[in-house]
Amino acid sequence: MGREVSESCVDSLLTEMVSTYCNRFYANKPELAARRIEAIGYQVGHQLSERYTMERPRFSDHLEAIKFICKDFWSEVFKKQIDNLKTNHRGTFVLQDNRFRWLSRISIDPSLESAESQDSSTPAESKAAQASSMHLYFPCGIIRGALSNLGIPCAVSADISNLPACSFVVRIKA
Amino acid sequence: MAPVAPRSGDAIFANMERVNAELFTLTYGATVRQLLTDLEEVEEVNKQLDQMGYNIGIRLIDEFLAKSNVSRCVDFRETAEVIAKVGFKMFLGVTASVSNWDADGTCCSIILEDNPLVDFVELPDTCQGLYYCNILSGVIRGALEMVSMKTEVTWIRDMLRGDDAYELQVKLLKQVPEEYPYKDDE
Amino acid sequence: MIVCVAVVGHQNNPLYIQSFTEADDALKLHHIVHCSLDVVDERVNNPKKSGPTLNETFLGLLYPTENYKVQYVFFSYGYLTNTKVKFILVTTDLDVRDADVRNFFRRFHAAYVDAVSNPFHVPGKKITSRTFAERVSTIVKSFGLSSAT
Repeated sequence: MGREVSESCVDSLLTEMVSTYCNRFYANKPELAARRIEAIGYQVGHQLSERYTMERPRFSDHLEAIKFICKDFWSEVFKKQIDNLKTNHRGTFVLQDNRFRWLSRISIDPSLESAESQDSSTPAESKAAQASSMHLYFPCGIIRGALSNLGIPCAVSADISNLPACSFVVRIKA
Repeated sequence: MAPVAPRSGDAIFANMERVNAELFTLTYGATVRQLLTDLEEVEEVNKQLDQMGYNIGIRLIDEFLAKSNVSRCVDFRETAEVIAKVGFKMFLGVTASVSNWDADGTCCSIILEDNPLVDFVELPDTCQGLYYCNILSGVIRGALEMVSMKTEVTWIRDMLRGDDAYELQVKLLKQVPEEYPYKDDE
Repeated sequence: MIVCVAVVGHQNNPLYIQSFTEADDALKLHHIVHCSLDVVDERVNNPKKSGPTLNETFLGLLYPTENYKVQYVFFSYGYLTNTKVKFILVTTDLDVRDADVRNFFRRFHAAYVDAVSNPFHVPGKKITSRTFAERVSTIVKSFGLSSAT
């Protein structure tokens, strides 16, 4: 058994990292904040894929690598596997986690909503969605970093239209 | 009713939801690296890490009090011990020690020999002024402020800079007395 | 005796190369590492020839490719990670135990993984970590002594 820390450490760090970028550094530039949060995730995913693929044979195709992300990789990070994997067989994969841990555990900073938009006509729901989507740039970056390091350049986005489920859409670049 | 005894750090940690430390360590590292890229000035990164820690500390104190059964109205000496023995253990899984008390009991050192934040870390020459673990000093300062203790926390030793341990000096600046101390039997 | 080890990135960019010999063999060793990389590419691109265990990280003996091994002074072995990083080991031992070479690569890989987990390491850049260099040197020194660790 390797070293462990309490889950609150990870949760607090993520909440604070996202809030730092969204509220303090780039309060009026959400797209810049998003890019930085994604970059942090990318580095983590890149390093984790290096660690988690140690002592395992090389993957022979994209599907095998994606399955590794869904099973072993997800289990190491979230203590559960991805619940559902779909593909259109043309380079797009949808990884669905029915109860995504970081959405259920991480408190969304309420000040994020006010910082997000000056437009008072924006419905509260969409503001909240925008705040969670800021958090989701981190796991999207992790997935992209992990796959890139396995030789699969891709774009990753998240879909939370079915909360608490969260779907990560991976589009492999040809 | 008999007062509830504070629980040991080991016991609390065993009951905490725990995760792989690698995820935490690498996420912290990637955050520090990104802050250095965005802020450029090492001094500014130190400041931001401390601020992030402070914000985390003022939130984490609730979980700490709830899970440790530590009563709120302890003196500074006890508080320092509790941070070292219970606080570090329950969150980071490592134990710290307290030493170097000054004569009037308002200044001490918290010493950490094992620190999951720095696994794999080697500072590049360009970051010599960086207090890589500065988030920790912020967490302590923030948490103590929520129990009415204003402190100043500074690094004395840092293994990433070649020292033999991590040493944080915690200096009590002001203690706001609680008007209605909680009593266990109420 | 191990005389040289190398880590090479997926675009054949050198990430780390270190020789462990007093002799002035640098050019010769670089040449062998180079030849070894060609063999790795060839084997990976033609998996049919790579033997029974497809996609195994350990690639076995790379150099020399001929059968008349006794004529040669240096022998190289290879290992390819999932992230397409190549590890090369050059030795002067004609007969080495397979288990020793595998054990060497396993420990070498672990040291590499820790080195690239440093938040300040830039992927694709040379590994300058002193901790890594020291760890590699320890692993090289203990080569063949015991497979227990």
